[in-house]
Amino acid sequence: MKKNWLLLFTIITALLLSACGGSNKANNEASGGGKAKIPDTFTYASLTDPVGLSPIMTNDSASSNVTQHVYETLFKRDEKNEIQPLLAESYENPDPNTWIIKLKKGIKFHDGTDFNAEAVKYTFDKLRDPKTAAPRASLLASVDTIKVVDDYTVEIKTKNPYGPFLAALSHSNAAIVSPTADKKQDLMKQPVGTGPFKFVSWTPGDQVVLEANPDYRDGAPALKKLVFKVVPEISTAISMLQAGEVQFIDRIPSEQLSRVEGMKNVTIEKKQGTPEYYLTVNHSKPEFANPEFKKAIASAIDRDAFVAKLKGLGVRSDSIIGPQVFGYKESADKAGTPFDLKKAKELVKKNGFDKRPLKLLTSNKGNYVLMAEVVQAQLEEAGFKVEIETMEWAAFLDTARAGKFDLTFLSWSNVTGDGSEMLYPNFHSANIGNSNFAQYNNPAFDKLVDESRTTTDQAKRLDYLNQANEVMLKDDGAIIMYHDVVTAALNNSYKGLKLYANGTWDLSKVTGK
Amino acid sequence: MAEVVTALGTNIKQVKKKENTFLVTFKRLIRNKLAVLGLIIIVLQIGMALFAPLITFHDPVKQNLNSSELPVLSAGHWLGTDNYGRDVWSRLVYGSRISLVVGFVAVTLGLIGGVTLGLLGGYYKKLDGVIMRIVDLLFSFPGILLAMLIIAILGTSLVNVAIAISIWSIPSCARIVRGSVLSIKEKEYIMAMKSLGASDFRIMVKHILPNAFAPIIVFATMRMATAILSTASLSYLGLGAQPPTPEWGAMISQGQAFMWSSPHLTIVPGIAIMLTVFAFNIVGDGLRDAIDPNMNVQ
Repeated sequence: MKKNWLLLFTIITALLLSACGGSNKANNEASGGGKAKIPDTFTYASLTDPVGLSPIMTNDSASSNVTQHVYETLFKRDEKNEIQPLLAESYENPDPNTWIIKLKKGIKFHDGTDFNAEAVKYTFDKLRDPKTAAPRASLLASVDTIKVVDDYTVEIKTKNPYGPFLAALSHSNAAIVSPTADKKQDLMKQPVGTGPFKFVSWTPGDQVVLEANPDYRDGAPALKKLVFKVVPEISTAISMLQAGEVQFIDRIPSEQLSRVEGMKNVTIEKKQGTPEYYLTVNHSKPEFANPEFKKAIASAIDRDAFVAKLKGLGVRSDSIIGPQVFGYKESADKAGTPFDLKKAKELVKKNGFDKRPLKLLTSNKGNYVLMAEVVQAQLEEAGFKVEIETMEWAAFLDTARAGKFDLTFLSWSNVTGDGSEMLYPNFHSANIGNSNFAQYNNPAFDKLVDESRTTTDQAKRLDYLNQANEVMLKDDGAIIMYHDVVTAALNNSYKGLKLYANGTWDLSKVTGK
Repeated sequence: MAEVVTALGTNIKQVKKKENTFLVTFKRLIRNKLAVLGLIIIVLQIGMALFAPLITFHDPVKQNLNSSELPVLSAGHWLGTDNYGRDVWSRLVYGSRISLVVGFVAVTLGLIGGVTLGLLGGYYKKLDGVIMRIVDLLFSFPGILLAMLIIAILGTSLVNVAIAISIWSIPSCARIVRGSVLSIKEKEYIMAMKSLGASDFRIMVKHILPNAFAPIIVFATMRMATAILSTASLSYLGLGAQPPTPEWGAMISQGQAFMWSSPHLTIVPGIAIMLTVFAFNIVGDGLRDAIDPNMNVQ
């Protein structure tokens, strides 16, 4: 019995001590390892394993983190978000439906074969071939024919003038692969590109290893070996960063931000990003597509209070096309339905919206849970009855795609940084049953989006996109919760990381300090 | 006539002995200091749950995003607030209601099922085989896994958690009751009852069951501990209480992302669970010690 008392006393004391001393301790122990000698291996902690290592057959960030270092695209957005030629040298538009792209010369793939027009034609034909069933075949949906004019010139003809064409070509899924390698092996497991790093090995579920490409046209990278390590828990990844086992992580959640900021061996970079997160109703059900219902929902959500909770890691704007995406105009920032709890309560009472409980679908990753709980509380204050249904990511995507929800949260990375490539897949009625999970169906909106895609006059496109944006905001088609701030935390012994607004990054120019 | 008089006499004696048994047991129990501590904790817990509206000053589910993640001993929130600005003390108090109610319901349902199966199995040899095989089948599943399976079928909610835990409790209870039944069944006074023409039901309920009370009470108390821990575990996994319900296990799950900035969000509900489970276990232990195995209620 005495033993029991002692045990009880010890446990309670220990718990109380750790409760009081908690946060201070964590900060003081910060400056652990990671300084002095630069290790040969540079490690990045990833939350998930890549799905595969071919740009043609994948469409997720874990895979593209790797493929973007092994392959290259014809064009790429620079850090100011402007499209620059990468593997391309220059381009011409002799008419709105024709693109003549001149390629850089003297570039070789990792297997020694030449990068040339044939390789480009091969890659693009494979990407848009229905038999390949590439997830992002839609990037080249408007392409009609691809012709090899000479070894370093490609002529692409589109069915209609396609405004976002260059943006599409700078998407990581439009990277050029080695035809020789693709015919010989499975690029999903053994990638071969023109990029600054070559593939070494992939232990599924554990890590991908790349090594510097000594023949890279821009000079071999300083980092000899890159490891993309799978660490499923973000707090574990942060601990590894602190201990120097990992040199780089991205996507810091807002609740861990203060912890990472307190770490002395790490520098954080933040950038206003293109990914966005929004709430939408199931437009296929008339009771939810009802304008008064949508207005009531929109009026009930205090987005300012929500964004304030993100500790600087979110940007507040009503606009469906985010501040870093082409098609954005500042006037759209406040063009949505403002937060007005009184109005929301009136609409709920008047229409009896509180009679039936609403099913709010959300995923269990990242800020989805935060958004769901805050919105549930806010909607209930307005009189709605809301039940949250949380699902694991893949199940969530399936359920949302199948339309099994009343309200749901959704997100879009906007890798191309182009408004047409945001509005078209997500809200154009042609994509209902496909990528338009909200099942939004507005003919006036559709027309404006179509116009934005079928002209190459960028000034006109900006106008059409802005109009489409405003039409959708007036209609409460979606309620933007926030636009992302992309983050990266790099060990202090390194510099030269390139972080892009769409959340992707480039390690090819990283060197020790 | 003589038999009736004897029977009557036996009955009176029986009643007197019963009263004495409770008092004696209770007296023995409170001699055990640790068990007293456990009892105090349980009484405090029940008091907390009953008088929740009187001792809390905030709505446990109302969010206040502007005062989120306040530390312990903040103005107006002596245990701080969570990341949605909800008062931790209020959530703790209302959470105690959930733990106690779900635990009680689960244990009661489990008892009903277990006692029924145990009585039937112990009394009727023919049913024994079948019933014990079912019990063995349920026993072979690890508890939490069985509960998760049941919830996968029924859906996530606290009601289903109570059902799942009660199903999982039935086998242990059945075995205990069956054991008691088997040992009492062969006694002479039971044979006497039978020959007097008492119905099986009467014998089971009025004569055998009271003798099994002791192990059942101990079992029920210890089971409360397990039930409360299981409710918290299942809610922690997202299978029980759904947001924004203030259940202790769910609170820990939500708070763990904030371990570095607001450790009290996980530690406070953690201590609450620990103390409650500890209290029920200690009292159960004490009861087991206090109940004199030599005492025989006739």
